[in-house]
Amino acid sequence: MFELRSTLTPEERQQRQKLILRDTLALSSLLLIVIVLFFVTLALFHSFTIHRQRLAKRWLARGEYALHAGQPLAAIDALRSALAYAPDDETLQIELAEALAADGRTQEAVAYFNTLLESRPGSGMVNLQLARLAVKQGEEANSLDHYEEALDGTWEGDGYTRRREVRLELAQYLIDRKHYDRARNELLIAAGNAPDDINVQLQIAGLLESAQDQANALHLYRRALQHRPERLAALEGAGRTAYALNRFLQAKKYLERALNHPEFEKQPTEAQAHFRDMLADADHILLLFPGPELSLRARADRILSNRKIAQERLAECLNTKTAVLPELQALADQWQHLPDKLSLLQLEQDPQLEQTIMQLVYQTERVTSQQCGAPMGDDALLLKIAEAPEAVEQL
Amino acid sequence: MSVQPIRESASQPAKPAARLTQLELEKIAPTRDDRLFLVLSIFIGVLSGLLVVSFRIAIEWIKILTLGSAPHAGQFRLILVPAFAGLLVAALVQRFFPAAQGSGINQTKAALYIYNGYISFKTVIGKFITSALAIGCGHSLGPEDPSLQIGAGIASMVARKLNLSRQRLRLFAPIGAAAGLAAAFNTPISAILFVIEEVIGQWSAAVLGSIVLSAISSVVVARWFWGPEPMFRIPPIELRDPRELIAYAVLGVAGGFAALAFSKSLGYLRPRLRALPRWTYYCQSCVAGLLVGLIGFFGFAQVMGPGYEALDQAMHGQFAWKLLLALALLKILATTLSFSSGTPGGMFAPTVFIGGMLGASVGSFEKLFFPHLTGTVGAYALVGMGVLFAGFLRAPLTSVFMVIEVSGNYSIIVPVILANMIAYLMSRALQPTPIFEVLTHQDGLALPSMEEAREESELHLEDALRPVDVPVVKGNQAIGEVALILSASHASAVLVSLWDGSWYAVSMDELTTASAASTRDTPIERTLPAERSPVLFPDMPLENALRYFPRWPVLPVLNRASRGKLEGVITQDDVLRCYQEH
Repeated sequence: MFELRSTLTPEERQQRQKLILRDTLALSSLLLIVIVLFFVTLALFHSFTIHRQRLAKRWLARGEYALHAGQPLAAIDALRSALAYAPDDETLQIELAEALAADGRTQEAVAYFNTLLESRPGSGMVNLQLARLAVKQGEEANSLDHYEEALDGTWEGDGYTRRREVRLELAQYLIDRKHYDRARNELLIAAGNAPDDINVQLQIAGLLESAQDQANALHLYRRALQHRPERLAALEGAGRTAYALNRFLQAKKYLERALNHPEFEKQPTEAQAHFRDMLADADHILLLFPGPELSLRARADRILSNRKIAQERLAECLNTKTAVLPELQALADQWQHLPDKLSLLQLEQDPQLEQTIMQLVYQTERVTSQQCGAPMGDDALLLKIAEAPEAVEQL
Repeated sequence: MSVQPIRESASQPAKPAARLTQLELEKIAPTRDDRLFLVLSIFIGVLSGLLVVSFRIAIEWIKILTLGSAPHAGQFRLILVPAFAGLLVAALVQRFFPAAQGSGINQTKAALYIYNGYISFKTVIGKFITSALAIGCGHSLGPEDPSLQIGAGIASMVARKLNLSRQRLRLFAPIGAAAGLAAAFNTPISAILFVIEEVIGQWSAAVLGSIVLSAISSVVVARWFWGPEPMFRIPPIELRDPRELIAYAVLGVAGGFAALAFSKSLGYLRPRLRALPRWTYYCQSCVAGLLVGLIGFFGFAQVMGPGYEALDQAMHGQFAWKLLLALALLKILATTLSFSSGTPGGMFAPTVFIGGMLGASVGSFEKLFFPHLTGTVGAYALVGMGVLFAGFLRAPLTSVFMVIEVSGNYSIIVPVILANMIAYLMSRALQPTPIFEVLTHQDGLALPSMEEAREESELHLEDALRPVDVPVVKGNQAIGEVALILSASHASAVLVSLWDGSWYAVSMDELTTASAASTRDTPIERTLPAERSPVLFPDMPLENALRYFPRWPVLPVLNRASRGKLEGVITQDDVLRCYQEH
């Protein structure tokens, strides 16, 4: 470390050697101190790190508990505390933002999620949360954008399932906003990609019903009914949608099976009564409907009976009016053009006349319901048949 | 930051009998100091790094043990803990560690400029214990400048043990300070710049290498434990829309006002508390702790302690702009209370906190009302930190580099420079005396002003230069002829242009002596000694010329582009007149 200098006296050389020795000792001591201090610090740091991890877990558990218990304020405090000890935990961050949103601190939650989105651009989960917040704030365009970004975004691990869930949530939102066409499109995409899982099928079918797409809903319910054992929800759904589509024969079939299902009796009384009424109506409709499968006599008999019901309904309606409306007058005229008295035989021999009478029956029920209010009893059932007579016995 | 001329530091360290004097050391080992200087810089860096890591762990442990793992509003301990801690810390400071009071920057400067680099080990211990207690128990102070002083103290102690020269001993304090600060902030470049900008005041090649070595060593140690991340997570930052610079300029203005409010409140409260009877010193920290605790108790627990967790949350958009603004204002109040009461701890973290909150507030406001702008809340918070650093601490260069170093992103440099400069210039205009000087004056010390030192304009030779009004002759001209020219001109000297482009200024006395020793026809260059007039250029510092005047009556000043071409001449009178006029 030191240069040799010939000008030094022997005493100075000795001093220099002592100095070298002393400096070496000092540096060695310093090194020793550094080593000891390093291990002391390491031990402290290790215990501190473990303690932090424990605290993070403890506060996370408390936060989640509070969130599920509907105490968002407590959840926010707990999750913030957890984040202080595990700042990079993504789940924790999202849960905190959810807690903020649940506590009504939407602005804070949006700001937080926006920041999360900046650090994880394209995150499906964050976009979904932002979409939900936008829904809360009534920002339709913003929420739809975020739902779309969530669908196109990245998901960890279970992306397939999460995207379907997002799509269904989006569909529900569209239904709530009465954008049925767009909701239907989303649901059909979801149905097309859905696995052969009865729960998923039932969920999508239910949403399709809400989106007023009874036909596709019925299709899905029928697919769900291929699973064994039959699920009551599938039978009820199929019966309900078939009934809504005026496929009363089909509805009767499903509703009968539903009513005989062992779980039917566990349903709320109101729901039971509703399905029973539906079945009774379907039965009655099938008794009123002059279907092509009937014998000529039975068919003529039903047509005459329906004619009587419709004429009485028209007469009643005309009696309630002080001035005869042109639509009702036109109906009355059409009835007058038909023979006043008809025998069963006449009808059996004249299918054209049958057709004309039934068309007039349907028209009478439709016009009277518009002019004189909703019909009751057989008139109501005939009106249902009038909506789609060709569907009544469709299977 | 009170720097008191205390007993232990006023006296020089005693030299053990066995030790050699500096002169003896110089003789037997002339290069020893230079070599030890670099080796010790590394040791000091490592030791400082380890101590700073321990210091931070101590603060965290104390916080968890006293305030709980999740302090939040409504907990009575938020009021009680800082108050009792204040009482204990004040007693420790007043009875055992008087030099641990306040922040460490001015104390390190005092060690450098007044006490020959001496910082006692007792001060280091006192600073460690009392600062950890105060900060851990929720006083609104930061751990950075205690770390800086701990580093400086360790450096001073190590240098003393190795019997280094006084000059070296003095330089070790800033080396340790840089190491302590670098480890505390995890930003080596900013720490180096800060020490140069605020402690040493100049770029000195003698110490720069050692400062860099120690800062890097300490950061390596700190990162070994904490990892490379800064104290807070930095969100992605990008400046896409230049219109956003307007918002950053607004942040600069807001930062300028915040810095002013912070400086004024400290400048107002601290001397008044210092002027109270001495017995009140024992309870000032307690009252300050009580008031800070009340702020925490009533819903703003984020202002307690350094506040890095809250800053992290703010950077990640967890607070609304109104809350962020409230936190910035309350932090000014809380830090003023804690610091003015003499509680040990620093102002770095509070400054960063206030700036960060202010920035995040501006950023959140912008996001809310101008959603088409793309700046992130985190970017605004980060720029806000730099803004307060520039405006309040008045360290403009460090402020820019700190933000860049913390973010690791150069795309933010334009907003940072813009906002920082606005805040800095506003602060200078509204508060001419920097806060460190205000505090120094309050303590009755006269440490050099780094801001003034930075701005001192150096005089150059061109400022004293005058046209060539002395005779100029060629080297081959006869000495008799030259004598005639000189006597005719009544000048003090004649400038002789020599064949190689060099010059020689011959005085009348010199010419007379030369004439006596040679014939009249002898070329003058043959009579001149080998020595030549010094080579000077107009851009050289004026002081460079002073040392030549005893030898030369007049000095030629040459053109750098054209060898041997005269730009003018200067005399001693010219130089002195120039100094007097400036």
